[in-house]
Amino acid sequence: MKKFFSTALARGLFWQLIGTLTGAGLVTGIRVLMGLSATDKFFFTEPAWVLGGFFGVLFFLAGNGSVSDWFKWARGIETPEHHEERYTGWEKYLNVSLDHKVIGIQYTVTALLLICVGGLFALIFRTELAQSQLQFLKVDMQLFGQNGPELYNTLMSLHGMIMIVSILLGVAGIMNYVVPLLLGAQDMAFPRLNAFSYWIAVPAAVLLLMSLVLGGFGTGWTGYPPLSARAPVGVQMFFLGVFTAGWSSILGALNVIVTVVRMRSKGMTAMRMPIFVWASVATSIIAMTATQLIGLSFQLVMFQRLFGMGFFDPAKGGNPVLFQHLFWFYSHPAVYVFVLPGLGVISELLPVFARKPLFGYRWVAMSSMGIALVGFLVWAHHMFTSGMNEYLRLPFMYSTLLVAIPTGVKFFSWVATIWKGKLTYPAAMLFVLGGIVSFLLGGLTGPPNATVSVDLHLHDTYFIVGHFHDTIFGGFVFPFFAALYYWFPKATGRRMNEFWGKVHFWLMTPSFFVLTLGMMRIGLLGMRRRIVDYDPALNFDSTHLVLTIAGYLIGLAVLIFIINFFHSISHGEKAEGNVWNSRSPEWQVPSPMPTHNYDQPFEVVGEPYDYGLAGSKYVEFAKPEKSKNK
Amino acid sequence: MTHTQDKSSALGQGVLIFVYLTILTALEFFIAITFKSVSILIVVAVIKAALVMYYYMHIYKLNENSDDDTHSYSYKTDTNRLGLWLFLLSDSFVFAGLMAARINLLGFTRPPLNQLLGLAVTAVLLLSSFFMNRGETSMAHGDTKGFLNNIVITFFLGFGFLIGVVAVEWRLAAAEGLVASFGNPANGPMGGVFYIMTGMHAFHVFTGLIFLFVVWNNARKNIYSAEQHWGVEAVAVYWHFVDLVWIFFYPALYLIGKLIV
Repeated sequence: MKKFFSTALARGLFWQLIGTLTGAGLVTGIRVLMGLSATDKFFFTEPAWVLGGFFGVLFFLAGNGSVSDWFKWARGIETPEHHEERYTGWEKYLNVSLDHKVIGIQYTVTALLLICVGGLFALIFRTELAQSQLQFLKVDMQLFGQNGPELYNTLMSLHGMIMIVSILLGVAGIMNYVVPLLLGAQDMAFPRLNAFSYWIAVPAAVLLLMSLVLGGFGTGWTGYPPLSARAPVGVQMFFLGVFTAGWSSILGALNVIVTVVRMRSKGMTAMRMPIFVWASVATSIIAMTATQLIGLSFQLVMFQRLFGMGFFDPAKGGNPVLFQHLFWFYSHPAVYVFVLPGLGVISELLPVFARKPLFGYRWVAMSSMGIALVGFLVWAHHMFTSGMNEYLRLPFMYSTLLVAIPTGVKFFSWVATIWKGKLTYPAAMLFVLGGIVSFLLGGLTGPPNATVSVDLHLHDTYFIVGHFHDTIFGGFVFPFFAALYYWFPKATGRRMNEFWGKVHFWLMTPSFFVLTLGMMRIGLLGMRRRIVDYDPALNFDSTHLVLTIAGYLIGLAVLIFIINFFHSISHGEKAEGNVWNSRSPEWQVPSPMPTHNYDQPFEVVGEPYDYGLAGSKYVEFAKPEKSKNK
Repeated sequence: MTHTQDKSSALGQGVLIFVYLTILTALEFFIAITFKSVSILIVVAVIKAALVMYYYMHIYKLNENSDDDTHSYSYKTDTNRLGLWLFLLSDSFVFAGLMAARINLLGFTRPPLNQLLGLAVTAVLLLSSFFMNRGETSMAHGDTKGFLNNIVITFFLGFGFLIGVVAVEWRLAAAEGLVASFGNPANGPMGGVFYIMTGMHAFHVFTGLIFLFVVWNNARKNIYSAEQHWGVEAVAVYWHFVDLVWIFFYPALYLIGKLIV
């Protein structure tokens, strides 16, 4: 326990508390001097909480040491390129490390933690929805300054945003761990920026959770004004949290792009890069640029609340629809940030388990870039019913339908890769296949939503919720699990338990399809999203009960996964060689990966996915002694 | 790093570009009060931006690959340069978003601002960019003393800009009734738009001043040389970027549209 309190994580959290109190105290002091009220419903006033939240993040970063090297540079003191690891075991992961592999695992474990928190919120409000009428989130209850239905709104909104942050961290985790290994680099291009990107996400998560206890916010994760302009102070913590998490995403993405451009191995031309690297670049282009606009849109609402600026207030000439444009300019491409790496994982793993070359490599590589670029032009399809100019509907409908083409290229490639392959079915492969099926369902239900005439009816129904969960499970959750099962031996030198992996898959997958297809069914029949209760006369009670049970089964499956994951770290079956018989460079060296990655640099001498082609090789290591000639 | 130019011709080029930028800014002002043509103003702003990006920010250096040894200083500088430009690309999305908000909310009207003061702060920022360029050129040729002198001038001009906007312009605007919460359905939320645009830009100027101080302080300790001065280059590029943003924000706030009183 004493060891825990001396870790960077504990120090950071302690300083975040001090920072929050300092910032809030500062504003409160000024307010007292100005003769304004010093306290409010949640002890501090709103401006005090905002500056407190902001100071908390700064203090966290200064206090846990992730910026100390930069301060040294600013004073003209040089630091070694890499610090020696001072810690071993679990302490390594709770302290600031510059090793991309450690940071990748930090990201991944934080993502898993947040998945559990977000999932728990979902189970709470799913339980309430199991029957019509209010069961336990009643109007007369009070918790954190909210009554039952208000608490439902907060949990529903936080489920959205916590899961989004968790996905961003999960994506960053896989990219951080895998991309330098695939490139043959020693580390990311900017190791300190990499550590900073991870550590800034931790206070962001704390801020998001703070919003729950500061009155919550009933706006949904989209935070549209005018509702968000009137919500309790919790919405400010939500804005600050997203803003902070956004910096993690922006800087992490920048790092990935520079790493891929500057640090590839000899011979790795663009068309010989692994597909996952292409997907990471595509996703990073979006994350690095568009993320600024969700930050800006939330910042504008924040300032509107603090200073009375009238950006989105029609009484002052503001325009609420402008918020939606700024917001969706990020938040639609964001779903491609979530799914592109996952689709990259599918393309990366499928040839390994089908023992066949990836079909149409160039097209798959280009399809990721295609999705990313078209993704910038589709945002207003979320706004067909929001009162924007009607002439905008048609171009955005067509640009949205255009996304289906590069996505179709991926499906074509996957099916052709599976065709006549010698498939094996370890848990990782099961999740790859589950991802394909789920993303197919999500993909097929997308174009109907993009079509204006249909969307006017489907907008804000459970059909959208079902569609969204299908795409995100298919594009992120299934491939994320696949990636964890697949690269787990690389990180730990042990395998995760296959039996429980299969239980995880066979429990989660059917439950998940029941959940999303059920959502789509009642959505088509008129079930509105984001509401705490529904009319019993709609006859949705039995379906909702089934959905709730399915939700619990998914929760159970993820719980099995989490136990398997942490148990296997120390007790899993040893797996130090090329367990999947992969051609990829990281599997040509023993697991777990040594601290500075490859002892010998490698040269790319062939195509990445020529499985089954006799005598073909992807990489060749420079060998000082020619003893191990394979 | 190899210099393709000797020092005096590099400094001469800086002067020439400064003269061009000055003429274009004067032209901008003249167009705004005579033709009132937004399209010409956009063309002028784009030309100014291109001049700054090419001759002051040296965007072409992104294409340079000076060394194959991945552990050399110049290889790392090339990597750092790419990172910095990507950061500026990301940052420019904030300013583009603010510009889009300004066009959407205010359209062809503009807030009541002091024209003379606007022109003055613009000139001060432009001048600071010029001295920044002189400073960087000096350092690229190993002249630390020249660098220190120029960077001090840059710093005080930048500081003058910040004071001009935050302490003078904001006070004058507020006295005219343009407070942060000012806005009505007829004219749009003018207070909000004015303060968020100038405020976001002023914040970048402020951080730029901190960076200027950092490199000035480090240069006094003689840690930069003609071959190794990435810190100086980074601050110079950042400082010119702040100027670049103002090239678009100045006409957007002061010059285009009908004045609303």
